[in-house]
Amino acid sequence: MYRSLKQTAISSLLGAALFIALPVNAAEKYGFGQTATPEQIAGWDIDIRPDGKGLPPGEGSVADGEVVYEQLCATCHGFFGEGEARWPVLAGGFGTLKDERPTKTVGSYWPYASTLYDYIRRAMPFTAPRSLTDEQTYQLTAYVLYLNEIVEDDFVLTNENLAQIEMPNKDGFFDDPRPDGHNKRCMKACDDPKTMTIQGTLSGITPVGHFIEGADAPAASHEGQEELEREKAHARKAALTGEDSSDIDDAKPVELSDKAVAGKEIFENACKVCHGSGIAGSPKLGDHEEWAPRVKQGISVLVGHAINGFSGSSGIMPPKGGRVDLSDQQVEEAVIYMVELSRVSK
Amino acid sequence: MSRIIKRPGTRHLMAQLAKESEGLSINERRDFLRKGVMTVGGLAATFSATQAIADTSNLPPMEPKWSKMLGHGVVEFPYGQPSQYESHVVRRTVPWLTAESISSISMSPLQDLKGIITPNGLVFERYHAGVPQINPEEHRLIIHGLVNRPIIFTMADLMRFPSVSEIKFIECPANGGMEWKGAQMEALQFTHGMLSCCEWTGVPLRTLLEEVGVQPEGKWILAEGADGAHMSRSIPLEKALDDTLVVYAQNGEMLRPEQGYPLRLINPGWEGNTSVKWLRRLEIGDKPWYHREETSKYTDLMPDGRARKFSFVQETNSVITNPCPENPIKQSGLIEIEGVAWSGRGKIKQVDVSFDGGVSWTPAKLKGLVLAKALTRFSLVTKWDGQPWLLQARAIDETGYVQPTLKQLRKIRGGNSIYHKNSIHTWQVAANGEVTNVQIS
Repeated sequence: MYRSLKQTAISSLLGAALFIALPVNAAEKYGFGQTATPEQIAGWDIDIRPDGKGLPPGEGSVADGEVVYEQLCATCHGFFGEGEARWPVLAGGFGTLKDERPTKTVGSYWPYASTLYDYIRRAMPFTAPRSLTDEQTYQLTAYVLYLNEIVEDDFVLTNENLAQIEMPNKDGFFDDPRPDGHNKRCMKACDDPKTMTIQGTLSGITPVGHFIEGADAPAASHEGQEELEREKAHARKAALTGEDSSDIDDAKPVELSDKAVAGKEIFENACKVCHGSGIAGSPKLGDHEEWAPRVKQGISVLVGHAINGFSGSSGIMPPKGGRVDLSDQQVEEAVIYMVELSRVSK
Repeated sequence: MSRIIKRPGTRHLMAQLAKESEGLSINERRDFLRKGVMTVGGLAATFSATQAIADTSNLPPMEPKWSKMLGHGVVEFPYGQPSQYESHVVRRTVPWLTAESISSISMSPLQDLKGIITPNGLVFERYHAGVPQINPEEHRLIIHGLVNRPIIFTMADLMRFPSVSEIKFIECPANGGMEWKGAQMEALQFTHGMLSCCEWTGVPLRTLLEEVGVQPEGKWILAEGADGAHMSRSIPLEKALDDTLVVYAQNGEMLRPEQGYPLRLINPGWEGNTSVKWLRRLEIGDKPWYHREETSKYTDLMPDGRARKFSFVQETNSVITNPCPENPIKQSGLIEIEGVAWSGRGKIKQVDVSFDGGVSWTPAKLKGLVLAKALTRFSLVTKWDGQPWLLQARAIDETGYVQPTLKQLRKIRGGNSIYHKNSIHTWQVAANGEVTNVQIS
């Protein structure tokens, strides 16, 4: 009796202790964090849905879009949305989705026009995301739709009519039906060896840098690949002109001026995306041959082109590379950094 | 010799070996170069030049040089690094896949990894506007939309919640996507390396959703990143309430910047792209948003010209990591056939291995931890005496799903779907032990 009473007492004590230790009952909340204000949410709530939810009031015309597009977008996406190098193709490709090599573009593949507004607003231009005004975003959306012959050249896109635009491939998507493979766990005589064919590797495209250093195949990094291509280009030029391409000693470190040192970070954050790889005809960092004739015009001319934009025979330089937030001085410093690293005397 | 691994010119390789041998004594150097000549002269090209280095003066009966001197002291490297002899174990990319490296992908070196955990510095990378450098003091997560009370959290707020730690794989749905039309990649790192597995620590999203109070109309969640791409994906509320995590740590330390520091989502077993990094915002809505990453990308184009959408699950998959093109068989005799298997639907139940291209199969054994939606190691010890093999692994998960053949997938999906290629993979082992990537049809 005494014993069982004692046990009961211990149980009760344990029960009480457990009760005290229980942190919260099911309905109670932790209460961490602050209530988000409407202003805080509005600044970040940038998403758009197919029904138009999220669109800011405003409008933009195809005609105005053309001006902005050619200044900020054509460098990568091409004047007609055809895409430079491996940058995305924006227009065309209609009727190719069943082809051996389909061309998936805004016009041929995207189901909703809202996606275009949303994506430009959240991520474009590539070098300066969130730098466009709502109006510019309407203009660019209208222009890309025009490039895809979805709207006419006099069209004005607004927050009222965007959700009504019917995209050619709007019915082209359906919910994931997987699992669809339906294999069985067979253990013996699962296939007929006589009908089996073995196909080997398509040759020449695997980066094999990690097998053998110096192998004549694509490199293992973008930088390595650029270096490889640069070396090959030098060798080709030298073979054609009979010149010795080794007069510039790439191994010797360049001594940078204070301005160039200041321009390095700007280059990394703003210029490298194009001038690191030389896309769309832009002079590549470190390429002496490409920079020398440009520097010959005078460094102030070159800096002027970088600040105000320039259309040359090899490509387009958007004003400040699209980074209008940079000061003129910052752009100048970045230009000097690229010129000095390319071993061109000013 | 493999058809694709072109060998460098003898002169080039010799010059490189000569350079590497600088600093060695005359005897060491002679020995080193002699081995180097052998490499150039005839061994398989897959043996790297460093493997040819074997300094006999450090072998028994000699006392090795490192045994006769002192090494460096504590905290000379406050954050430790791998041995200098492991410098080949790195992430790699395929330059022609993307326009440049800021919006690109790198692959984990599966051929060199052990166990099921991917070290933080080797977890594959994918981002669309480069890696942002975020001060955690200035990072915020806002949860709003169809909720009773929208909340803005600091990192300190989020770390006050009781935490959970779970081991889950993360895989890009484009893993293997370069191989739909044919074998292209002569390396395991490139055929399967968009795959990693970590122990993630954070808060279940369910807990945070209980804090804001989701309204009855709420069915979908938009997750958005704080990087320049403001990466966004629509996620069904069901998943969020099931096992989605909001994490701040991986493998015992805070997230790496390239993995979303200071905060990311983990949707276990789902397309890696849905595990949004640098997470800054979660909006609850009644419908999906159909953003770029769920329409233009990450949709699977079928032969009839229509495309599958919201293909979230990474289905059961497996690959043999030893041998593989990077790890050829060097000696006849006993060999452990080893690899990894994983399923986005749960635990791996069984893995079978075939030596004849899928005609007959032998059960392998699972070893180590077998966890849901995590990499699982399998092993089969056998003997190789120079016979040619068509080596395959086939995984089965706890739902009974059997990893399909490439033929089965191609028949339904054609060659243009890019994503979700989880078919049985084939390595061809030649009589000299060299391993190449082939496809059987």
